[in-house]
Amino acid sequence: MIKKWWWKALGLILLIYTVIVGMAVPLKPGVTGFEVVRSGVSQEDNILFFTPGSTYTFEIRGYNMNLSAAKTKAWLKLNESGASSDVINPAVSSDAVVVPSSESSGLVTFTLPMKFPTTDDYANLTLVLSNAVDGQAILPQALNLQLTADQKGTDSAWSDAYLSEIDVVDSFRFPYRSVLNETIRNTFFHIPLWFSMFIMLIVSLVYSIRYLRTGHIKDDIYASALVRVSVLFGVLGIITGSLWAKYTWGTFWTTDVKLNMSTVAMLIYVASLILRSSINDVDRRAKISASYNIFAFAALIPLVFVIPRLTDSLHPGNGGNPALGGEDMENTLRAVFYPAIIGFTLVGFWIASLSIRYEMIKDNWLTRRQ
Amino acid sequence: MNKSRFILILGVIVTSISQMKAESAAIDFLRSTGKIYSVIAVIVVILIGIGIYLYKIDNKLTKLENQINNEQ
Repeated sequence: MIKKWWWKALGLILLIYTVIVGMAVPLKPGVTGFEVVRSGVSQEDNILFFTPGSTYTFEIRGYNMNLSAAKTKAWLKLNESGASSDVINPAVSSDAVVVPSSESSGLVTFTLPMKFPTTDDYANLTLVLSNAVDGQAILPQALNLQLTADQKGTDSAWSDAYLSEIDVVDSFRFPYRSVLNETIRNTFFHIPLWFSMFIMLIVSLVYSIRYLRTGHIKDDIYASALVRVSVLFGVLGIITGSLWAKYTWGTFWTTDVKLNMSTVAMLIYVASLILRSSINDVDRRAKISASYNIFAFAALIPLVFVIPRLTDSLHPGNGGNPALGGEDMENTLRAVFYPAIIGFTLVGFWIASLSIRYEMIKDNWLTRRQ
Repeated sequence: MNKSRFILILGVIVTSISQMKAESAAIDFLRSTGKIYSVIAVIVVILIGIGIYLYKIDNKLTKLENQINNEQ
């Protein structure tokens, strides 16, 4: 199996597929700017106090959304919690369609209704844009209003007619997330590196246990080669994560539980490599590194998976953030994500197999020399 | 000497990457000018290069193993 070529070629092909599709597929449209325009001067954040019944003009900036290509409609949707109307997720439409001032920016005017169908003291409105060419774009929490008691109730301006007027464009595109933007493509590289590292470490653990049971040096060779490649993938995972953080969190590193704990786990495995190189006797080295490998894996699980979920963390999947199943993963992403995991795993095993075969030849040669 | 030079070059590349302030609100420049495809081509070329390198090592090892098997 270790000398067969088909799985090695498959791994490489999957990686090439990941790069080509992962980088070339465009994102769905999004909204990057939504600001009130007041007598020709754009306003600063959050100073304006929106009042129901007034009319406001907003400047919209879109991403991957051609506002001038087709008639772009806009709605403000009231977020559901506490809505007391018969209609779920009611929305009020703009006074007119978006007036484009360029391909990606335009002006839209909204007249806020006198009453809002909610029982909360605050109304949280989401902007929904739609046009026939690009589909729909959403800006969550575009407007926030305070409501007094007499501003709550039903109003004819609210309806769910927008649900039938929204354009659905059927094309393969990745989701748009406001902070992530184009960096969402990193899900095809950063996460699969860690997944494949973890798979290789499990297999390495199996071989370590096998060595302790059988004493065959071949099992130790397998285990150590897999640890070496896993350390490489882990370091690459940390570097890619750090680069991703620079563009989304604004910094290469932060005192975050997940980051620190996974670095500690990596250091434990790096220590196992150093430990191996410090012992000359082959059998002693194999036995000690096999037991250390078992300990290192037993430390990896709580460090990387358990502890970060127990406390606050910025990293997705930990500390109260939704994980891969939440807002950050969609079926379009999965179409490249799963092949990427398989591709990285197979290529990781390929690199390990070369190291294994080399060590076996060396071991063979050395034992014959005796 | 070679290793420290490599680390130096890597350090220069990483610090220059950190100078790039990618504005998240900006329209994707590379895609709009069609140059994303050159990025894809570069990465694919690198991947194929790594693949060929691994393949050659694989072949060398196979030859060695066959040699040892024949001698035995």
